[in-house]
Order: sequence, then C-alpha cells, then structure tokens
Amino acid sequence: MKFFSFPVLPFVFFAVGCAHSPDPAATLAPPLVSPPTRQVLIVSDPVQIPPNPAEMPVQSETRNVDEYGDIEVPEKVSREAKPEIADPLEPFNRAMYHFNDKLYFWLLKPVAQGYGKVVPEAARVGVSNFFANLAFPIRFVNCLLQANFEGAAAELGRFTINTLWGVGGFLDPASSKDIHLSKQDEDFGQTLGAYGIGQGFFINWPLFGPSSPRDTVGLVGDGFLTPYSYLSPWYAGAGTRGYDMVNDTSLKIGDYESLKGAAIDPYVAIRDAYVQYRLKKVNRKGGNTPAEDLELPKK
Amino acid sequence: MKRMIVVLSIIIPLLFSLPVYAGPPLDAVQANVNKVLEVLRDPKLKAASAKEIRKEKLRLIYERMFDDVELSKRTLSRHWNSMNVAQRKEFVLLFRQVLEKAYIDKILAYTDEKIVFDRENMVSETQAEIQTIIVTASKEIPITYRVILKGGAWKVYDIVIENVSLVLNYRTQFNDILAKNTPEQLLEILRKKVKGQ
Repeated sequence: MKFFSFPVLPFVFFAVGCAHSPDPAATLAPPLVSPPTRQVLIVSDPVQIPPNPAEMPVQSETRNVDEYGDIEVPEKVSREAKPEIADPLEPFNRAMYHFNDKLYFWLLKPVAQGYGKVVPEAARVGVSNFFANLAFPIRFVNCLLQANFEGAAAELGRFTINTLWGVGGFLDPASSKDIHLSKQDEDFGQTLGAYGIGQGFFINWPLFGPSSPRDTVGLVGDGFLTPYSYLSPWYAGAGTRGYDMVNDTSLKIGDYESLKGAAIDPYVAIRDAYVQYRLKKVNRKGGNTPAEDLELPKK
Repeated sequence: MKRMIVVLSIIIPLLFSLPVYAGPPLDAVQANVNKVLEVLRDPKLKAASAKEIRKEKLRLIYERMFDDVELSKRTLSRHWNSMNVAQRKEFVLLFRQVLEKAYIDKILAYTDEKIVFDRENMVSETQAEIQTIIVTASKEIPITYRVILKGGAWKVYDIVIENVSLVLNYRTQFNDILAKNTPEQLLEILRKKVKGQ
C-alpha cells in the first residue's frame, strides 16, 4: 500500500493544487506537502484527500470580487461599431410610435389573425413568395446600382425559375438545395447607404414605421419599381399593398409583441433595432461603410 | 481495496484537472443548445403543469451557458463603473430576470424548428461568434452567439438575432434612461419591469 501510494500522492497534490489555486501565495500547498499531513491522508479515505472544500470558497470569493470590479477600459468594451442615430424629432416620433402601436393592436393584428384562421399557413407562405417574386425589380436594379453583378444574376435566375417552375412565384424552387440561389435583400435605401450616404436622423412614419431621410427616399424610389404601384385605379394598388401587409403580418404575429415586451423602453428599442438592422444590411454586401453611421454619439 | 485506493488516487486528480482545454466554441454552444432542446422535446415535460419544472431546468442550463456578469458589463458599458458593487450585483440579477421574462415563452413555444449550426468565426484567442439559423415553416432566422473563453469554458455574452445585437439594443435603452436618471432609478425601473405585467 505504502509502496504505491507514496509516489501517487504528490501527484495528487500537484494536480489538484495546480488546477484550483489561482494565487500561489494563498494556497494551502506547503503544509500539505509536509510529511505529517501526508501520513494522515494515507490513512484516511482517499475520496477526502483533495483539500478542495477548504479551498473552493476562497477561490470563488476572490473571483466574485474581480467579476464585479470596475471595467478596466470601458472604451474597449463599447468600441464595437456603435450604431446610434440622431433623433431631433423625438416627440413626433414617439407620438407616431403610439399611433402605429394602436394601429397594430386594434386593426392590423385582428385582421391578420382572422385572415390567418381562414387561410392555411402554407398558402400564406405562397402568397408571401408571390409578392416577393413580384418585387424582383427592386432587388435586381439595386444589385446593379451597387455593382453587385453576381447578386443581379442570382436575382434574374431566381425570377425566371420561380415564375416558370414556381407557379408564377407562389413556390420558391430557386432556394432549394439543388439550385440554391438565395434572395438578395437589396433596396434603394441600402444602395444610397452603399454610396456613402448616412441615415441622417430618425423618422417614425405613421403606417410605414421606422425610417430616416435616406430610407424614405429609398422607399419612394422602390415604389417606382413595384409593379402594383402602377395598378389603376389608385386604390387597387393600395389595396394590394394592404393585402401584402396583412398576409405578411399573419406570418409574424408575436414578433412585435415580444420585441415590445422585452424592451425597457419599447420606442428606443425599436429605433435601435431598426438602426442596427439597416446598418448591417448596408455593410453586408461589400459597400462602403457610411461614415456617419459609425460615428460615436456626440451627446 | 488496495487496488481501489490506487485507482482512485489516480482518477481523482484527473477529474479535478479536467477543464483545461475548452474545445472549439461551436461545440460548446451546440452542446448547450442541444441540452435546451432535450428539455423542450421531453414528452414527459410537455404537460402545462410541468412548465415550472421546464423553466427550472432551462435556468440551470442558462447558468452554465451564459456569462451573466460579462453580459451586464457590456450592456451597461461605462455606466457599470458609476454603480457601486451592490448595485452591480442587483443589476446582474434583475437583468437576468428581465431577459428570462422576455424570452422564456418564446423558447417554451418551440415546436420542431430546425437549428442549423452554420460556422464559427474566431474574433480573437478568447472570443468567437457562432452563427446559427433557425428554420421555421415560413422563414429562416439567423442567430449569432458571441462567446468568450472564461475559466476554461466558452460562455455566451451576447446574442444577435436578425442582425440586432441584444447587448447593443439594451445598451441604447439604458444609455437613454441613464442620461436622465440615476443608477438607483434604473434599478427601480427594472424592479418594476420584473414584478409587473
């Protein structure tokens, strides 16, 4: 017994000591190595050998103090691209936030829920595909405007395949594993962003929601490329757009609620989500990073 | 008996010295996500009465998966330093509860969506981003986990859902609140948020 245990025990102390004592000066190691302790330990049950129970609390306490200490370089923590936006129209925007909020809960959501009960999900996904296919000109032209020819080609391929083999766009065979042409989510607001135009400031439009001068221009520009805006009379186009919106909402019920529920200040949360979302989209396709969006806040 | 003692005295130190190499961060996140899915898929826990048990199990996984303190520090950023240690501790606890309240129902509503672990980007030796995609019937939701290597384990400190970083989103909100309020008032707002609704 002694023959085997003696060479092993120092190893025990080494391993345990090394793995568990962050501060060598504070460890219990020296007394443990001394002969008397060793004898005691040999007699006792080996399971109790490790001096850890005594050591652990000490360790976790020191760890806690460190964890809750000051941050050494706060700049370093917050240096990741900081998407912030000026909000000089805050009172107006907040009022519009409440307007849109009520619009959603009192009108859009009940209508979309009723619609969702009548139309099965698969069909609604089909309708959503159809409208997405119809909006092909927006993505195609904006890929070209950003000199993203690969993306433009992918969009052209998608439109052809989905229109011909996807029953006029209701199905999306182009996204399948075999063809694998993914949708290029480009719009005119992103094109302007890729040209180096910053967001400017935040505007919360009634009905259209979070936007900025740049993205508002983008929205109007894209309007010219949306086939149903040329429908006549005008309310046919508006009705189509409304239907698109209801269909879309029926697939996303709960998203807005959870965003709002998670937020401490929903208005600020949505503004920030919008800014982050748009910034990433603009930066994603090799475009220049608009300097203004990356600027540190001047508050 | 002798042999057992010998064997034990070899095995025990090995057990205690295990967490030295943490493995690839993607594996760590995936292992934790799989544990979450196990709980969510467990047919024995499907009943509505088992909701509390499921929540409790998820909490345990959360504690192993996330670095609460790191998450709070990054969210508060420079404001962390203007709080005292007691306030910091309370903030970490409250913020965790806010997040739990906000997301637990979403998580429990999981049905059968596929989760694809796309790839990992090493940002530095101790930081990485794990890109995943949740595939639902109507859409694909990209979710990125930002992880940091601490105490021999990869811990999540930020989640980016559809390009929106959770830490940044809350930071903007807290900045806005702390521009007009004291840290104590922020804590009071959070206390109300946790209690109310």
